[in-house]
Amino acid sequence: MKQILVIAEIFENRVRKVTWELAAAALQIKADFSQKKESSDINTPDVYIIIPSDNPKPLVKEFLKQTSLNIIGLEIPELKTYTSEIYIACLGQLIRKMNPSHILAAHTSQGRDFAPGLALGLEAASIPGVNGIGSDEKGLIYSRSVFNNKKNMLVQPDPKRPVMLTLMPGVFKPYIHKSGKPGQVDIRKFFFNCGSGDKSRIQHQQVLKRSCENQALKVAKVVVAAGRGLGEEKNLNIVFRFAKCFFSSAVGASRPLVDMGWIGYEHQVGITGTTIAPKVYIACGISGSSQHIAGIKDAKFVISINKNYKAPISRYSDLCITEDVIEFIHAFLNLVDTKLLESDPVSNMGKIKSRVIRDEELHTKKE
Amino acid sequence: MKILVCIKQVGDEGEMNLFDAHALEEAILLKEQFSAAMMEPVSVDIVTAGSSGVKKIIRRAFGMGADRGYHIVKEDSGYDSSFVTASMLAAVAGKIPYDLILAGIMSEDMMAGQTGPMLAQILGMPCATGVIKTTLPTTDNIMQVEREMENGFRDCIAIRLPAVLTIQAGINNPRYPCLSNMLSANQKQIITFAQADLFPTPVRARESFAGMQDPEKTRSGRLLEGSLSDKAEQLFSFLRKKDLI
Ligand SMILES: Cc1cc2nc3c(=O)[nH]c(=O)nc-3n(C[C@H](O)[C@H](O)[C@H](O)COP(=O)(O)OP(=O)(O)OC[C@H]3O[C@@H](n4cnc5c(N)ncnc54)[C@H](O)[C@@H]3O)c2cc1C
Ligand SMILES: Nc1ncnc2c1ncn2[C@@H]1O[C@H](COP(=O)(O)O)[C@@H](O)[C@H]1O
Repeated sequence: MKQILVIAEIFENRVRKVTWELAAAALQIKADFSQKKESSDINTPDVYIIIPSDNPKPLVKEFLKQTSLNIIGLEIPELKTYTSEIYIACLGQLIRKMNPSHILAAHTSQGRDFAPGLALGLEAASIPGVNGIGSDEKGLIYSRSVFNNKKNMLVQPDPKRPVMLTLMPGVFKPYIHKSGKPGQVDIRKFFFNCGSGDKSRIQHQQVLKRSCENQALKVAKVVVAAGRGLGEEKNLNIVFRFAKCFFSSAVGASRPLVDMGWIGYEHQVGITGTTIAPKVYIACGISGSSQHIAGIKDAKFVISINKNYKAPISRYSDLCITEDVIEFIHAFLNLVDTKLLESDPVSNMGKIKSRVIRDEELHTKKE
Repeated sequence: MKILVCIKQVGDEGEMNLFDAHALEEAILLKEQFSAAMMEPVSVDIVTAGSSGVKKIIRRAFGMGADRGYHIVKEDSGYDSSFVTASMLAAVAGKIPYDLILAGIMSEDMMAGQTGPMLAQILGMPCATGVIKTTLPTTDNIMQVEREMENGFRDCIAIRLPAVLTIQAGINNPRYPCLSNMLSANQKQIITFAQADLFPTPVRARESFAGMQDPEKTRSGRLLEGSLSDKAEQLFSFLRKKDLI
């Protein structure tokens, strides 16, 4: 009997939400099996959730309330905090005693860290960053993003091997508990026994938190975000001026601008920055990588200004403006100035002037 | 100390993968720090598996300051398997006792993020991915590194060398190749391996290519029509209607 194994994502002693997305995908894979095998239920693999921890019992207990899937608490006394070395060794020991068809983990900083090495040790196929599951007559097919998110590549694992999948977070609808008979619960204990004999080669020390909570980005109704398409650091000014046109706004940025030191980290939008949900998001010269898009999924309306309509950002936009970003913003600012002058020439003249003068000050301090 | 950096050529223009430029920069910075502290000499080698066209990025790596280049001439099999690539890189890396192997967190074309950790597993080395900060190794070969996680968290770990690290952008600013390095680049040696020489019995991919697709749209992607000023006008009235401007 085959199994579908889900490796729960644990962070600071809690099960992360993405685990329920993995469970949902596991059930989808299982459903595909039972469809194909129709009557012979015996061949349908069972789903097991594996919870690695130095003390899995409380986590397992918590989990039981929310699921009728089978659970394995993987007790590893040395596992105070996650390390790839302990995961690869102990999950490897457990999985070798089982007979999995699929092993699922999250495509997160943790999953990406241990899954490739684990797959290799198990001589499994390995498909990272899965964003869709389909099937043809030969079996299941997985899709994954390639070429900077421009295309999806379809991949089929060698059917004679188990396959390790890491799933993109936020793609699969989380599993919702349906009451049924409770699954099997099992606690299995493994000692971390590192290959080199003496002591482990990776020691966890601490978790640091860099503050990325930017209230301005979170509360603004309009977020204007700058990307590499701006070309030069000095062009950031015009993006700040653009943002100033709106009643409630803030400036965001794609990661490369932060990495290059053009703007502070608190402006970064995306999976390793801030997640936002403004009324309107205006992406200026941003290509639309999956890591960036993860930060704006809940935006009400997305507008992109990009000279290339083929850029992935178009797929995530409600409105696309295919123009040179600098030229377009200039045209827009001129228009705004004209409108202001039309409405109240005397009091607005000052506004326009001061806006131009303040440009320099608008730059936020770099880190 | 011997450092090896894995670099990959990506894109139509044959550029060095962005994250690999950061990895190479980090290796060169370590080398410079070592020599400034008058510690043991450091060598920085690079290895790439690819077609004969990859010479361009090897020269660029020399221009940045790499000492030796290994080129594995890889036949295009239609599916770029991380496992096959990692096996090839391991075959070369295994010939020399490297203390530190650096790779990118992912390649911009395959976006797999697997090659580094798989290489580590084949060589029996520990691995840390998404490294955003390194420190000089101590005399007992322990290196403190920070791994980037989601939401502004960082995982600080101590890793014993020899080890593999995969490098995340933001760790440094890759330098431009410098002229004097570029001039001496032509004298530097590129050591070439044929795939067949490394593997008498070929290593096979564990997955196969089953097609390419255009990703689904998640929003309508409506295109604004007209001249530049028409578009500005349309955007303005749209935002005005929403009472945002
Ligand atoms: C683990 C990990 C985490 C990451 N986390 C994040 C994150 O949190 N946030 C994030 O943003 N990125 C993140 N990234 C980086 C991400 O993969 C991309 O590299 C990044 O989002 C690309 O930024 P960009 O769109 O500004 O640049 P590019 O991808 O270079 O896109 C530039 C765009 O500008 C357009 N353009 C060029 N010139 C002009 C012009 N004159 N006028 C108009 N348009 C123009 C181009 O057509 C292109 O579409 C992460 C990467 C990794 C590996
Ligand atoms: N063909 C290759 N030659 C050399 N290094 C590679 C190659 N492919 C991948 N790498 C390295 O592995 C990293 C991750 O690539 P990937 O697993 O394809 O996302 C890259 O950033 C490179 O450092």
